Amino acid sequence: MKGIQFENVSKYYQEGERKFTALNQVSISVKPGEFAAVIGPSGSGKSTFLSIAGALLQPSEGNVIINGTNLSDLKPRELSKLRLDQIGFVLQTSNLVPYLTVFDQLLVVKKMKGSITKEDKHFAKDLLDEVDLADKLTKYPDQLSGGERQRTAIARALMNNPNIILADEPTASLDTQRAFEIVELMASGLKARNKAAIMVTHDERLLKYCDKVYQIIDGNLTLLDEQIAIR
Amino acid sequence: MFLALREFKHAKLRFIMIGMILVLISWLVFILSGLGNGLSALSAATFKNMDADYVIFEEGSRHSMLRSVISEDLSKDLKRLEHVNEAAPMGSQTAVVLRENATSEDEKIDVSLLGINPGTFLEPEVIEGEKLVQGNDQEVIVNDVLKNQGIDLGDTLEIEGTDEIIKVVGFVENESFNHLPAIFMTMDAWRKIHFAAPGSDMGVINPVNAIMLQGEDIILEDINQSVEGIETATKQEAINGIPGYTAENGTIMMMLGFLLAISAFVITVFFYVMTLQKTNQFGILKAIGAGNGFLGRAVVSQVFLLAVISIGVGILLTYGTAMILPEGMPFALDPKLVISYAIVLLVVSVLSSLLSVRKITKIDPLQAIGRVE
Ligand SMILES: Nc1ncnc2c1ncn2[C@@H]1O[C@H](COP(=O)(O)OP(=O)(O)OP(=O)(O)O)[C@@H](O)[C@H]1O
Ligand SMILES: [Mg+2]
Repeated sequence: MKGIQFENVSKYYQEGERKFTALNQVSISVKPGEFAAVIGPSGSGKSTFLSIAGALLQPSEGNVIINGTNLSDLKPRELSKLRLDQIGFVLQTSNLVPYLTVFDQLLVVKKMKGSITKEDKHFAKDLLDEVDLADKLTKYPDQLSGGERQRTAIARALMNNPNIILADEPTASLDTQRAFEIVELMASGLKARNKAAIMVTHDERLLKYCDKVYQIIDGNLTLLDEQIAIR
Repeated sequence: MFLALREFKHAKLRFIMIGMILVLISWLVFILSGLGNGLSALSAATFKNMDADYVIFEEGSRHSMLRSVISEDLSKDLKRLEHVNEAAPMGSQTAVVLRENATSEDEKIDVSLLGINPGTFLEPEVIEGEKLVQGNDQEVIVNDVLKNQGIDLGDTLEIEGTDEIIKVVGFVENESFNHLPAIFMTMDAWRKIHFAAPGSDMGVINPVNAIMLQGEDIILEDINQSVEGIETATKQEAINGIPGYTAENGTIMMMLGFLLAISAFVITVFFYVMTLQKTNQFGILKAIGAGNGFLGRAVVSQVFLLAVISIGVGILLTYGTAMILPEGMPFALDPKLVISYAIVLLVVSVLSSLLSVRKITKIDPLQAIGRVE
């Protein structure tokens, strides 16, 4: 099955004697072409959820299946390869490498896999064109605005043509107008490519771009809303 | 290389500074090695050049020519032993020579007088002039550095404190002993000078300081059993026995060791601190799929490139320095030595980056998630 599935996933943290439940029996399925949002108050388990989805954290119980592969079967090295091939991350603003130009931010992802081909360069240029950064190829992150940085991050997340896109508060450091632009850009880009995407956010105004809205409270995930997303 | 080169470009100043430190360290390493090489040549070139395997000294002389007097006649017994191919005696004496009928402008020259038997393997090749001839006790062959003092073929020299007059008939290259340029003479001529005081030969017949042996697989026990009153040294032990040689060499080796340790620490600390600063960045790169190998290679290749460039510059500076060093300074750059120290420096540098690599492998990509900075 394509996309990403959680089957009764729990995450416990040991706090002294007590067992603290950060995620409680979470099940969710996000199919290709679907853009899901996860909201919840601070400390509710959103980052924990996203880390498990991104193969960065092992669940205490349950299965995570990405594009048909059960993550619990994989070794650390294979997990790292799976992240490279299957998952695109859009993280906070500071997630670009400071000494790489916008163009190189994308190419480095290819370099991690081996070598950079001519097609890769074309593909990177096309992606950057799409996020309206065609004239910023040689700029460094500190020469970009917050919105431009996030757009670079979105393009980078798509560079390896992954099946899953995970976004962790992608608009945290942007003003409202920029935040709307960024999420709109993500939504349309993901739809066009038929990616399964999950975005964790605080900002409820952004939910109109998402197909499904989930809420986490104290580690319990519930479907809040299913809607026709704006795009 | 992808990350390494781009980071160099972006943080030029930072890398130039650490590069400069490496350049200075490698420069100093090469200068010291040149100096060490020069000094040890000055102190022991003749011993190093000679094609001998073992040296026979008087018992109790602790491998020093100065303390040893044995009879040349022993060499017959020694030659008869199994595995011993050749035996040749040698005597040494420090002296001051000056040109005969010297005017006050002529310099006095400190030299090492070395007595040998002409034609033995101890006689160095003459690069100009004639060889020594048995019986022509006045004739000598001298180190060609004496040309700098205006000595030419055919010149006659007085030996201060004696009535002896010697005549330069040939020049040899790179022959010095006890830090002084060598003058080779026949054994009889040498004896006349060295044992000038009656009784100073302590009754030894045909006295010499040492006998050098040629021959592979010589069995030392055989020698010690068949000949009385001697001790045997390998060529290297004999070199170490030259006054000051071990002390000089030891000092320089110690300085080189310290320099290597310093460079290891500097590189380790610099790159480790850089790695610590970039922990978050490495975490993000790992989150998006970079393996430990990819990131580790980035650091190692940075150190490797930096070291190669810095050491290269250090070598150039060293050869530049060699050109402006005053003549007569005991400085001899041996390309083999330079290359081996360059390799040692490079290996030390690359090993120093491993602590950073270890740190990188421990960085958890998880920290990329859930942080808004
Ligand atoms: N390593 C850990 N050890 C113990 N408890 C942890 C650990 N990581 C997270 N927690 C706890 O798990 C809960 C969920 O944390 P998480 O980071 O997922 O929250 P969040 O929803 O992302 O919050 P925020 O909106 O503030 O980022 C929190 O109560 C937190 O204290
Ligand atoms: Mg969080």
